[in-house]
Amino acid sequence: MRWFALALLASPAFADVEIPRYVNETASAGIASVYAGEWEFMTGGGVAAFDCSGDGKPELLMAGGTQKATLYSNDSLTGGALKFTALTAGVELDRVTGAYPLDIDSDGILDLVLLRSGEDVVMRGLGHCQFSRANEDWGFDGRDLWSTAFAATWEKGQAWPTLAIGTYIDRTQDAFPWGSCTPNALYRPKGQGFAAPLELKPSFCSLSMLFTDWNRSGTPSLRVSNDREYYKGGSEQMWHIAPNQAPALYTAAEGWKPLKIWGMGIASTDVNGDGFPDYFMTSMSDSKLQVLAAGPEKATYKDIAFASHAIAQRPYTGGDFRPSTGWHAEFQDVNNDGVQDLFVAKGNVSAMPDFAMKDPNNLLLGLGDGTFTEAGDKTGIASFAQARGASVVDLNGDGQLDIVVVNRNTGAEVWRNEGAPKGHWLQLALHQDGANRDAIGAWIELRQGARVQQREITSGGGHAGGQLGWWHFGLGADPQAEVRVIWPDGSASDWAKVAGDGFYDLTKGHAPKAR
Amino acid sequence: MQRRTFLTAGVALALLGGTAQASGDNRETVAAEVLATWYRLALELVRHTPTYTPPVASRTLAYMGVAAFEALASGDARLHSLIGQLNGLSALPDRATGQGYDTAVILTAVMEGLIRDLFANTGPTGQHAVQTLSARLAEQAATGLAADVVAASRSYGATLAAAVLDWARSDGGAVIDNMGFPATYTLNPAPGHWVPTSKIVLQQAPLLPDWGKNRPFAMPAGETCTLPPPTDYSEDPASPFYAEAMEVYTTSGSLTDAQKQIARFWSDDAMLSYTPPGHWIAIMTQVAVEKGLDLTAQVEALARMGVAMADAFIGCWSAKFQYDLIRPISYIKKVIDPKWEPLLNTPPFPEYPSGHSTQSAAAASVLTALFGDSYNFTDESPTPDGVPTRSFASFWAAADEAAISRLYGGIHFMPAIKHGQDQGRCIAAYAIALKTRA
Repeated sequence: MRWFALALLASPAFADVEIPRYVNETASAGIASVYAGEWEFMTGGGVAAFDCSGDGKPELLMAGGTQKATLYSNDSLTGGALKFTALTAGVELDRVTGAYPLDIDSDGILDLVLLRSGEDVVMRGLGHCQFSRANEDWGFDGRDLWSTAFAATWEKGQAWPTLAIGTYIDRTQDAFPWGSCTPNALYRPKGQGFAAPLELKPSFCSLSMLFTDWNRSGTPSLRVSNDREYYKGGSEQMWHIAPNQAPALYTAAEGWKPLKIWGMGIASTDVNGDGFPDYFMTSMSDSKLQVLAAGPEKATYKDIAFASHAIAQRPYTGGDFRPSTGWHAEFQDVNNDGVQDLFVAKGNVSAMPDFAMKDPNNLLLGLGDGTFTEAGDKTGIASFAQARGASVVDLNGDGQLDIVVVNRNTGAEVWRNEGAPKGHWLQLALHQDGANRDAIGAWIELRQGARVQQREITSGGGHAGGQLGWWHFGLGADPQAEVRVIWPDGSASDWAKVAGDGFYDLTKGHAPKAR
Repeated sequence: MQRRTFLTAGVALALLGGTAQASGDNRETVAAEVLATWYRLALELVRHTPTYTPPVASRTLAYMGVAAFEALASGDARLHSLIGQLNGLSALPDRATGQGYDTAVILTAVMEGLIRDLFANTGPTGQHAVQTLSARLAEQAATGLAADVVAASRSYGATLAAAVLDWARSDGGAVIDNMGFPATYTLNPAPGHWVPTSKIVLQQAPLLPDWGKNRPFAMPAGETCTLPPPTDYSEDPASPFYAEAMEVYTTSGSLTDAQKQIARFWSDDAMLSYTPPGHWIAIMTQVAVEKGLDLTAQVEALARMGVAMADAFIGCWSAKFQYDLIRPISYIKKVIDPKWEPLLNTPPFPEYPSGHSTQSAAAASVLTALFGDSYNFTDESPTPDGVPTRSFASFWAAADEAAISRLYGGIHFMPAIKHGQDQGRCIAAYAIALKTRA
């Protein structure tokens, strides 16, 4: 509990928590994407945020369901209003449920993985926000399933990533779909591409996956959050993905305890300051916030959502008493106070009368003592649309994290963060030569006095979408910090002092460089 | 790990078909298949519909059973309607004189009407499945029939379903808000009363506190089958109540693998299983297939089983909220061992009596009355992961095991189990006494 104690020393008091102000700029931002469709598109609806234009500001790729996916160029001026323009980028496929950016071939240009209700497609980045299908060139078998989850890692010694793709219901079993979960797959490298998919059995209708080094062993495992609505005999899962070995589920003997939830999204950060990632899982009704229960030797977690006020169980706006339905979840520091906050996208599956229809997204501000307080209504992001995927990301390069949400059967929404003036910030991008250019699997550590923030760099999780680019840290009132990187190979860079309120490239073997 | 699903239409059709074809009645084969398929869907919807806790499931299965029986009774002079025998059921529509009808089409329409209404709150996948099966079974049932027979049968089935639903709406259990957990509830602050046992927000109030006030089906009232009060509450180590808690505690600490499997086999958790009443309907239908029951005997059994188990839950819930007893987990953590954890998740409502004990006893009473006291069977209904099938020498052997499983699971004291079974026997007698043959 050492880190927890340190965190408490420096955390802001409850009364000090700053409420960021968000302005809904949906109408003027130029985004007109709808995640459309009926049964096969009741899940999914992800958004990928990544910079493909080279200007440092993220573009947005939105899944469209029965409509075509759309890539939006980010034309926002620094600190200015949010402005986007739809591009023709080669990604305009229908039946897309989700999207994740990743430099698969390590050529310095981000590629894309498009999850679909149908064949999944990997898209090679060509530069200048143009993409082309690469399934055949990279030996990627996109199968023809209902894909709903994604995660990526670079296994030790590999030049190409290992991809995990989670799938949902067998679409052909329309009368008795329960228990028909189709197999998830692991795509391991083979030459300049991928080997045939290795089925991860049993599979339990996953809606989120995340490669994460839960015990800081140096080898990430694969967490899978599953929808109990459709599996029989299933539960939440974690797989050992050890190099050159077959995947193996964590067992009861290793401390893993079965948990059955309507798992829909995974977010991770170190909530309790113990130095290990904690996991927030969205569900219907009560969400879960898991922390290690018995140290890194046992894969045993306890749920602290109730005690942490992070349960996000029902609308906080009043007027609708019914339980919530949670989808994308993401930890970020939206008020730059140095404490991770939690955004949760909410929305009824369709028109389920036992669940809230007016189900606002949550913005739970971290108080620094391991607890949260709801600020969705105070910040202005309490939309009642049927949210699915989302991204909490700095869209206009001002160091304040904006929010974009994809909604089912209605337009996506975007909010600009006008800021929480007392907080300083940093945005850091990781680079290394060779494979895994963006250092997926690294840890960034940020030190201010005795307090250290730690962030695992992952690809995956959330609900059907993720971001890659700048990694944001709030600094609180201190205008500077020291940073270092624990690179995926385990080596650590030296601590380096950097001034706040700036963007820095952290390249392996080099000092931080302001951009 | 999954066991074979008992209600797979193919199995039902193959076995029932043998009997029906032997009697030369192909339409009965079709009707039996239709009924089996709707019940298979209903049990899946019980598993997958948010409000379907065990009491709610028992209510729906009762109305389905009664409706299926009346669908046949309305056209079979050998059967005696339940009109006037079940509380509040004073009339049902008649078939038109001189019009030809088909039982399979009527059953399809009746079951479709009930399932669409009683599971109206199921999710989009359930809705999708209901739509798909409605069309598929309607076509299957109508194949080879004259158009006027199909039309009249569908119309009658829909009318009968509407009448049953109209009757159902006044029983007190038709509206389930907030998954069955009241928005406001005042806990009794005195020691020994129920307190929440989880950190789940909904479960800070108990499930369905007014369910015991619902109109029963066959027994006169929820309080009809009384049971003695639970042991006086005490935290004194020399007290009988403490001894009962120690029995739970020590049993929990010395469970054999066999006892753990028994506990898990019968856990029948809401939203993860068919629930206890669904489990017993699965057993009943399996037995019906094994014995090659004709359609008439099947619907009689479904009606009696449904009524008995629904009444069992009403009676049990009436007593639960009369006595409002603390759960073992709350008492043991407070008085004996704060770190103790039972094998099973503790259900979110008062302890006394045991619901599974009450309704399993009611179900076993009915099945014993129908099929005898020494029917050997292997329960093929779905089980939790890794738990193998279990075989029983009789229905009572299964009911006894279901009851004691709650001690092994650490969720009930022994008096709740013993007296729950007594209550179940008492309640089932009313369902067994129903007259179904003219």
